[in-house]
Amino acid sequence: MTVPALAQRGVRAEPAKTVSSATGPSLREDLVGWAFAAPFVILFGLFLAFPIVASLLLSFTSFGLSDLQNPIGATFVGLDNYAKLLGDKTFWTALFNTFYFVVVGVPVTLAIGLVIASALDRGVRRFRTAFRVGYYLPVITSIVAIAVVWRFLLNPDVGLVNLVLGAVGIKGPAWLADPVLAMPSIIAMAVWRNLGFAMVVFLAGMQSIPTQLYEAASIDGAGRWQAFRHVTIPMLRPTILFMTVITTIGYLQLFEEPFVMTGGGPLDKTLSVTMYMYQQGFTFFHQGYASALAYVLFLIVAIVAFFQFKFLRSDDA
Amino acid sequence: MYDGSTAPARGAGRALGALAILASFGLVFAACGTNNKNNNGSAGAGASAVQAPAVSAAASVGGTLTVWAMGNEGVELKKVADAFMKDNPGTTVNVTPVDWGQAVAKLQTAIAGHQTPDVSQMGTDMMGQFAATGALEPVPANFQKDAFFESAWNTNIVNGTVSGVRWYVETRLLYYRKDIAEKAGITNPPATWDDLEAAAKVMKDKGGAKWGIALGTKNWQEYLPFLWSNGGAIPEGQGKFTLNSPQAVEALTVYQSFFKDGLTPKSVPEGFDITPAFVSGTHPMFFSGPWHIGLLDKAGGADFASKWALAPIPKKVSSTSFVGGGNLVVYKDSKNKDLAWKFVQYLTDPKTQVGWYNQVTDLPAVTAAWDDPKLKDDKNVAMFGEQLKSTKAQPAIPTWSEVSTAINDALEKMTTRSLDPQAAADQMQKAAESIGMGS
Repeated sequence: MTVPALAQRGVRAEPAKTVSSATGPSLREDLVGWAFAAPFVILFGLFLAFPIVASLLLSFTSFGLSDLQNPIGATFVGLDNYAKLLGDKTFWTALFNTFYFVVVGVPVTLAIGLVIASALDRGVRRFRTAFRVGYYLPVITSIVAIAVVWRFLLNPDVGLVNLVLGAVGIKGPAWLADPVLAMPSIIAMAVWRNLGFAMVVFLAGMQSIPTQLYEAASIDGAGRWQAFRHVTIPMLRPTILFMTVITTIGYLQLFEEPFVMTGGGPLDKTLSVTMYMYQQGFTFFHQGYASALAYVLFLIVAIVAFFQFKFLRSDDA
Repeated sequence: MYDGSTAPARGAGRALGALAILASFGLVFAACGTNNKNNNGSAGAGASAVQAPAVSAAASVGGTLTVWAMGNEGVELKKVADAFMKDNPGTTVNVTPVDWGQAVAKLQTAIAGHQTPDVSQMGTDMMGQFAATGALEPVPANFQKDAFFESAWNTNIVNGTVSGVRWYVETRLLYYRKDIAEKAGITNPPATWDDLEAAAKVMKDKGGAKWGIALGTKNWQEYLPFLWSNGGAIPEGQGKFTLNSPQAVEALTVYQSFFKDGLTPKSVPEGFDITPAFVSGTHPMFFSGPWHIGLLDKAGGADFASKWALAPIPKKVSSTSFVGGGNLVVYKDSKNKDLAWKFVQYLTDPKTQVGWYNQVTDLPAVTAAWDDPKLKDDKNVAMFGEQLKSTKAQPAIPTWSEVSTAINDALEKMTTRSLDPQAAADQMQKAAESIGMGS
């Protein structure tokens, strides 16, 4: 296909160089374009596309320790890994925990982010930049460092949280070691860390809403709340959709927080799908099984994102 | 993840001391490997494990070696490598320190890419997994089983082949607060299970301690000495899992009783540090390895040493502790195996082992090194040496990380959720059987 097309382009480009950009790039420009794109394409192919395909293939094998030095020799097991997954109690526990984290964490993160954004947009005028930086700082801080610090804060005996509670006469619980409180503790940390990003995006969205709309609303007798409810929220719908999808995808891959803070415990109450995948793949070295887990998680993310788009979009129409 | 091998940083490296120059190294290699080839797959007690024929490395063997070592050992090994190079002109040993947290992934990557070092340190609980990759060179007959602590040697036998050489050992003893015990009316160290329970009770009730003892809610390394001391088994070699034997159920019942009776906390925060808790006296007893001697000296100050003492693992049928530590392995992809084994032999020479103890306080795996006054005359260290004679280790099976996770899960349910010991034992057994021994 390329040969006649390129020849044609070459012929055309010769006589009228000035119009070449209008009729399509020349071979030379093609090559230059590819050359510029090459670093990305090569890295993408090597470190993303290839592993994606390889792990799909792996998920149909029983790839384990003894196959490490001869990957081609791994035994093909068809859909066995996927079938085994359905009967794996720990997988269902991890899936439940992950959804618990998403279902509670995403709305809370977005709601608080929205409230802070609108406070900064309509209310707080002074120190707005300072607040924005303050809320955004956790987002750009290393997650592992944050998790370690939060682990100290939540320490039942010497942690700041329980010291404060103790000062007002409440005996604080063992946050991360308590099977009921462990996941809410992790959600609290994730919300604190991620609301800065939601806030920044919402704030940008709010500031692009034309002020005439608010003026019109106030002429019609709308108060602060009504303006928020009937102007800000509808105008922000695409931003909210975007943030819901992005945050959900991120939260479905919950890993570092429990990995550092609880190790998945107590009693697997904070074990996430990604953590279980890591455990299977790199601690037990069932790479085939872990790859199947990865693809199941991918499928879940795709399905969830699809429905989010569908519902939030149709509301819009 | 690798509790067995990631012992906290030991005392800072002291001077290497007068490491005697081993001029006549070649002589050691003159060993003959005749009767070490009686092949037999079942190596339960390690009686007849396969070793490669002795390598006939002349004293003149030269070349370059790459050695990976982890944690503190990785930092300190360079000095020993320098001494080795001085004794063996024409050789170069490059030591690469590897962080314990990345050790497994890094080694797996190296093995997959056939880019392994010549020699590496390896946690004893990693042996089963890594031998299963087929990347480890069988140990030649230059290394004799009798020279090492038996249980330590046996952790290197995977599927009947000796795949590594023990470098250093560690075992667990009971640390207890002598002053609190005396205050509670106890004058002798707790020697039996009954003693231990009684001591925990009175130290809490009369000694003024908040708890009686610190035990892990989900730590197989703390549970196993109870199992072994009661005559139970995992087992340690090949065979069938026996995790729900009557001995196991009895051991679990006793282990659980400390939690039930409120003698040890049911909830332990992630990252809990026993050292300050022991110094302040809230937890007057705990089980740990030799590294805690240095940690306690540092945390407790000069006069604290008189307030605590060590005791062997409390006895039921026997007093059997857990043996951990580090191994040395040589990789099949090594281009210079003769020199690699020569370096391993150097590291496991009694004199080097004593020097290594002086440098990083790693306990010698070679029994002859324990005759050195440095080890023999230190009361606390000698007690570890004594306990080492009665130790066992986890089985060297590729699936151990899974089996131990299953044991921990059942332990956690039993200690924190009051799961019945029989049910916990059955759960361990069922999980272990479905995981299998991986061969």
